[in-house]
Amino acid sequence: MVIFLLGALVLNGIAKGIDFGMTPVMWINTILGNEAEFIEPLLLSDLLLSLHTDLFGLILIFILMTALLIRTSRAKGFKITVLLLGVITLLFYGIGLITSLWIGRVGVIFSWGGFYLFHLLMIGIALDIFILLIRKKF
Amino acid sequence: MQHQFLRILALSFIVLVVLQSILGGALFIVLAGWNPHTIGLYYSEKSFRGLLEILTPHVLFISIALMGTLHFLGFISTISEKKKEFLIHLLFGLFVIDQSAPIFIVLGLKLFATIKLVAFIAFESALVFALIVIFRESLRDFSLHH
Repeated sequence: MVIFLLGALVLNGIAKGIDFGMTPVMWINTILGNEAEFIEPLLLSDLLLSLHTDLFGLILIFILMTALLIRTSRAKGFKITVLLLGVITLLFYGIGLITSLWIGRVGVIFSWGGFYLFHLLMIGIALDIFILLIRKKF
Repeated sequence: MQHQFLRILALSFIVLVVLQSILGGALFIVLAGWNPHTIGLYYSEKSFRGLLEILTPHVLFISIALMGTLHFLGFISTISEKKKEFLIHLLFGLFVIDQSAPIFIVLGLKLFATIKLVAFIAFESALVFALIVIFRESLRDFSLHH
Protein backbone atom coordinates (compact mmCIF):
# COMPACT_ATOMS: atom_id res chain seq x y z
CA MET A 1 0.00 0.00 0.00
CA VAL A 2 2.84 2.39 0.89
CA ILE A 3 4.50 1.77 -2.51
CA PHE A 4 1.23 2.45 -4.35
CA LEU A 5 0.58 5.59 -2.30
CA LEU A 6 4.12 6.78 -3.08
CA GLY A 7 3.43 6.20 -6.77
CA ALA A 8 0.12 8.06 -6.52
CA LEU A 9 1.81 11.04 -4.83
CA VAL A 10 4.57 11.28 -7.44
CA LEU A 11 2.13 10.88 -10.36
CA ASN A 12 -0.25 13.44 -8.86
CA GLY A 13 2.62 15.91 -8.49
CA ILE A 14 3.64 15.36 -12.13
CA ALA A 15 0.02 15.63 -13.34
CA LYS A 16 -0.40 18.92 -11.48
CA GLY A 17 2.92 20.10 -12.94
CA ILE A 18 1.57 19.41 -16.44
CA ASP A 19 -1.81 21.06 -15.71
CA PHE A 20 -0.81 24.12 -13.67
CA GLY A 21 3.00 24.17 -14.01
CA MET A 22 5.81 23.60 -11.52
CA THR A 23 6.57 27.17 -10.40
CA PRO A 24 4.33 29.73 -8.62
CA VAL A 25 4.49 32.01 -11.69
CA MET A 26 3.17 29.21 -13.91
CA TRP A 27 0.34 28.56 -11.42
CA ILE A 28 -0.53 32.27 -11.35
CA ASN A 29 -0.61 32.42 -15.17
CA THR A 30 -2.80 29.31 -15.43
CA ILE A 31 -5.25 30.23 -12.67
CA LEU A 32 -5.47 34.01 -12.93
CA GLY A 33 -4.54 34.30 -16.60
CA ASN A 34 -1.99 36.60 -18.22
CA GLU A 35 -3.07 39.30 -20.64
CA ALA A 36 0.48 39.80 -21.97
CA GLU A 37 0.71 36.13 -22.95
CA PHE A 38 -2.97 35.89 -24.01
CA ILE A 39 -3.75 33.27 -21.34
CA GLU A 40 -7.39 33.18 -20.22
CA PRO A 41 -8.04 32.79 -16.46
CA LEU A 42 -9.42 29.44 -15.29
CA LEU A 43 -13.23 29.31 -15.09
CA LEU A 44 -14.67 29.15 -11.55
CA SER A 45 -16.39 25.83 -12.30
CA ASP A 46 -13.11 24.34 -13.63
CA LEU A 47 -11.19 25.64 -10.62
CA LEU A 48 -13.71 24.15 -8.17
CA LEU A 49 -13.88 20.86 -10.10
CA SER A 50 -10.09 20.53 -10.15
CA LEU A 51 -9.84 21.24 -6.41
CA HIS A 52 -12.80 18.99 -5.53
CA THR A 53 -11.40 15.97 -7.41
CA ASP A 54 -7.86 16.63 -6.19
CA LEU A 55 -8.83 16.85 -2.53
CA PHE A 56 -10.69 13.55 -2.84
CA GLY A 57 -7.46 11.65 -3.45
CA LEU A 58 -5.29 13.76 -1.17
CA ILE A 59 -7.60 13.35 1.86
CA LEU A 60 -7.60 9.57 1.37
CA ILE A 61 -3.80 9.50 1.08
CA PHE A 62 -3.47 11.70 4.18
CA ILE A 63 -5.84 9.59 6.31
CA LEU A 64 -4.23 6.29 5.22
CA MET A 65 -0.70 7.57 5.78
CA THR A 66 -1.42 9.08 9.20
CA ALA A 67 -3.34 5.97 10.27
CA LEU A 68 -0.13 4.03 9.55
CA LEU A 69 2.12 6.66 11.15
CA ILE A 70 0.17 6.52 14.43
CA ARG A 71 1.10 2.86 14.78
CA THR A 72 4.84 3.36 14.25
CA SER A 73 7.46 3.68 16.99
CA ARG A 74 8.23 7.34 16.13
CA ALA A 75 8.17 9.99 18.88
CA LYS A 76 4.84 11.53 19.92
CA GLY A 77 5.92 15.08 19.01
CA PHE A 78 6.96 13.97 15.52
CA LYS A 79 3.61 12.29 14.89
CA ILE A 80 1.60 15.30 16.06
CA THR A 81 3.77 17.68 13.98
CA VAL A 82 3.23 15.55 10.86
CA LEU A 83 -0.53 15.35 11.48
CA LEU A 84 -0.88 19.10 11.95
CA LEU A 85 1.49 19.98 9.07
CA GLY A 86 -0.46 17.65 6.78
CA VAL A 87 -3.79 19.30 7.62
CA ILE A 88 -2.36 22.84 7.42
CA THR A 89 -0.70 22.29 4.02
CA LEU A 90 -3.86 20.66 2.61
CA LEU A 91 -5.93 23.59 3.89
CA PHE A 92 -3.43 26.05 2.40
CA TYR A 93 -3.83 24.30 -0.94
CA GLY A 94 -7.64 24.33 -0.88
CA ILE A 95 -8.32 27.67 0.79
CA GLY A 96 -5.47 29.39 -1.08
CA LEU A 97 -6.93 28.33 -4.43
CA ILE A 98 -10.45 29.49 -3.53
CA THR A 99 -9.32 32.79 -2.01
CA SER A 100 -7.16 33.51 -5.08
CA LEU A 101 -10.44 34.70 -6.65
CA TRP A 102 -10.37 37.63 -4.18
CA ILE A 103 -6.74 38.02 -3.07
CA GLY A 104 -5.12 37.03 -6.38
CA ARG A 105 -1.46 36.04 -6.49
CA VAL A 106 -1.01 35.61 -2.72
CA GLY A 107 -3.74 32.95 -2.65
CA VAL A 108 -2.18 31.08 -5.59
CA ILE A 109 1.28 31.17 -3.96
CA PHE A 110 -0.16 29.79 -0.70
CA SER A 111 -1.94 27.11 -2.69
CA TRP A 112 1.20 26.18 -4.65
CA GLY A 113 3.24 26.01 -1.43
CA GLY A 114 0.56 23.94 0.32
CA PHE A 115 0.27 21.51 -2.57
CA TYR A 116 3.99 20.78 -2.97
CA LEU A 117 4.76 20.83 0.78
CA PHE A 118 1.96 18.34 1.35
CA HIS A 119 3.34 16.07 -1.35
CA LEU A 120 6.91 16.32 -0.04
CA LEU A 121 5.70 15.66 3.52
CA MET A 122 3.64 12.62 2.52
CA ILE A 123 6.45 11.23 0.31
CA GLY A 124 8.84 11.61 3.27
CA ILE A 125 6.41 9.86 5.63
CA ALA A 126 5.78 7.09 3.11
CA LEU A 127 9.53 6.48 2.76
CA ASP A 128 9.95 6.56 6.54
CA ILE A 129 7.15 4.02 7.04
CA PHE A 130 8.57 1.89 4.23
CA ILE A 131 12.04 1.81 5.87
CA LEU A 132 10.50 1.02 9.28
CA LEU A 133 8.56 -1.84 7.72
CA ILE A 134 11.69 -3.26 6.06
CA ARG A 135 13.66 -2.99 9.32
CA LYS A 136 10.72 -4.59 11.16
CA LYS A 137 10.54 -1.66 13.60
CA PHE A 138 6.87 -0.95 12.99
CA MET B 1 -1.50 8.07 23.64
CA GLN B 2 -3.36 6.30 20.84
CA HIS B 3 -6.53 8.13 22.01
CA GLN B 4 -4.87 11.51 21.67
CA PHE B 5 -3.79 10.75 18.09
CA LEU B 6 -7.20 9.35 17.28
CA ARG B 7 -8.67 12.62 18.60
CA ILE B 8 -6.37 14.75 16.41
CA LEU B 9 -6.97 12.47 13.43
CA ALA B 10 -10.75 12.75 13.96
CA LEU B 11 -10.47 16.55 14.10
CA SER B 12 -8.28 16.64 10.98
CA PHE B 13 -10.68 14.35 9.16
CA ILE B 14 -13.62 16.60 10.12
CA VAL B 15 -11.86 19.75 8.90
CA LEU B 16 -11.01 18.15 5.56
CA VAL B 17 -14.44 16.56 5.04
CA VAL B 18 -16.06 19.95 5.81
CA LEU B 19 -13.78 21.67 3.27
CA GLN B 20 -14.56 19.00 0.68
CA SER B 21 -18.32 19.30 1.36
CA ILE B 22 -18.21 23.12 1.02
CA LEU B 23 -16.33 22.74 -2.28
CA GLY B 24 -18.84 20.13 -3.48
CA GLY B 25 -21.76 22.38 -2.51
CA ALA B 26 -20.18 25.41 -4.21
CA LEU B 27 -19.47 23.41 -7.37
CA PHE B 28 -23.05 22.10 -7.42
CA ILE B 29 -24.45 25.65 -7.12
CA VAL B 30 -22.10 27.02 -9.81
CA LEU B 31 -22.96 24.21 -12.25
CA ALA B 32 -26.59 23.35 -11.50
CA GLY B 33 -27.92 26.30 -9.50
CA TRP B 34 -30.16 26.39 -6.45
CA ASN B 35 -33.67 25.75 -7.74
CA PRO B 36 -35.25 22.52 -9.02
CA HIS B 37 -35.82 24.01 -12.49
CA THR B 38 -32.12 24.70 -13.18
CA ILE B 39 -31.12 21.42 -11.51
CA GLY B 40 -33.58 19.57 -13.78
CA LEU B 41 -32.16 21.36 -16.84
CA TYR B 42 -28.56 20.63 -15.84
CA TYR B 43 -29.09 16.89 -15.43
CA SER B 44 -31.52 16.41 -18.33
CA GLU B 45 -28.80 17.59 -20.74
CA LYS B 46 -26.40 14.92 -19.50
CA SER B 47 -25.72 11.65 -21.27
CA PHE B 48 -25.61 8.33 -19.42
CA ARG B 49 -21.80 8.51 -19.60
CA GLY B 50 -21.86 12.02 -18.11
CA LEU B 51 -24.00 10.75 -15.24
CA LEU B 52 -21.61 7.87 -14.59
CA GLU B 53 -18.67 10.28 -14.56
CA ILE B 54 -20.32 12.13 -11.67
CA LEU B 55 -21.70 9.06 -9.91
CA THR B 56 -18.59 6.87 -9.82
CA PRO B 57 -16.19 9.15 -7.86
CA HIS B 58 -19.01 10.23 -5.52
CA VAL B 59 -20.01 6.68 -4.66
CA LEU B 60 -16.36 5.86 -3.98
CA PHE B 61 -15.46 8.95 -1.95
CA ILE B 62 -18.69 9.38 0.03
CA SER B 63 -18.71 5.68 0.97
CA ILE B 64 -15.20 6.09 2.38
CA ALA B 65 -15.94 9.48 3.99
CA LEU B 66 -19.10 8.08 5.61
CA MET B 67 -17.29 4.97 6.76
CA GLY B 68 -14.56 7.15 8.31
CA THR B 69 -17.04 9.51 9.94
CA LEU B 70 -19.29 6.77 11.27
CA HIS B 71 -16.26 4.79 12.42
CA PHE B 72 -15.27 7.73 14.65
CA LEU B 73 -18.91 8.10 15.73
CA GLY B 74 -18.89 4.46 16.80
CA PHE B 75 -16.24 5.27 19.43
CA ILE B 76 -18.40 7.93 21.07
CA SER B 77 -20.33 6.94 24.16
CA THR B 78 -22.44 10.07 24.75
CA ILE B 79 -25.11 9.21 22.17
CA SER B 80 -27.13 6.00 22.27
CA GLU B 81 -26.62 3.04 19.94
CA LYS B 82 -30.15 3.60 18.59
CA LYS B 83 -29.33 7.17 17.60
CA LYS B 84 -26.10 6.01 15.95
CA GLU B 85 -28.01 3.34 14.03
CA PHE B 86 -30.59 5.91 12.91
CA LEU B 87 -27.87 8.31 11.78
CA ILE B 88 -26.11 5.55 9.80
CA HIS B 89 -29.34 4.56 7.99
CA LEU B 90 -30.28 8.20 7.43
CA LEU B 91 -26.92 9.15 5.93
CA PHE B 92 -26.64 6.15 3.61
CA GLY B 93 -30.35 6.40 2.67
CA LEU B 94 -30.13 10.10 1.78
CA PHE B 95 -26.91 9.46 -0.11
CA VAL B 96 -28.57 6.79 -2.27
CA ILE B 97 -31.54 9.11 -3.02
CA ASP B 98 -29.23 12.07 -3.72
CA GLN B 99 -27.03 10.11 -6.11
CA SER B 100 -29.76 8.15 -7.90
CA ALA B 101 -32.13 11.14 -8.44
CA PRO B 102 -30.23 12.40 -11.56
CA ILE B 103 -30.90 9.07 -13.29
CA PHE B 104 -34.65 9.60 -12.87
CA ILE B 105 -34.33 13.23 -14.03
CA VAL B 106 -32.66 12.01 -17.25
CA LEU B 107 -35.51 9.50 -17.66
CA GLY B 108 -37.93 12.45 -17.70
CA LEU B 109 -39.22 12.47 -14.11
CA LYS B 110 -38.73 16.17 -13.33
CA LEU B 111 -40.05 15.75 -9.77
CA PHE B 112 -36.71 14.16 -8.91
CA ALA B 113 -35.00 17.56 -9.28
CA THR B 114 -36.83 18.67 -6.12
CA ILE B 115 -36.13 15.30 -4.45
CA LYS B 116 -32.45 15.66 -5.36
CA LEU B 117 -32.28 19.15 -3.83
CA VAL B 118 -34.07 18.10 -0.63
CA ALA B 119 -31.94 14.94 -0.29
CA PHE B 120 -28.74 16.94 -0.89
CA ILE B 121 -29.57 19.53 1.80
CA ALA B 122 -30.77 16.83 4.22
CA PHE B 123 -27.64 14.74 3.62
CA GLU B 124 -25.31 17.71 4.22
CA SER B 125 -27.27 18.63 7.39
CA ALA B 126 -27.15 15.07 8.77
CA LEU B 127 -23.42 14.89 8.00
CA VAL B 128 -22.81 18.23 9.73
CA PHE B 129 -24.75 16.94 12.76
CA ALA B 130 -22.60 13.78 12.92
CA LEU B 131 -19.42 15.84 12.53
CA ILE B 132 -20.50 18.25 15.30
CA VAL B 133 -21.09 15.30 17.66
CA ILE B 134 -17.59 13.94 16.93
CA PHE B 135 -16.01 17.41 17.09
CA ARG B 136 -17.62 18.21 20.47
CA GLU B 137 -16.58 14.85 21.89
CA SER B 138 -13.04 15.18 20.51
CA LEU B 139 -12.58 18.56 22.20
CA ARG B 140 -14.23 17.58 25.52
CA ASP B 141 -11.95 14.78 26.69
CA PHE B 142 -10.29 11.57 25.58
CA SER B 143 -13.46 9.56 25.91
CA LEU B 144 -13.13 8.19 22.38
CA HIS B 145 -12.51 4.60 23.32
CA HIS B 146 -11.61 1.40 21.52
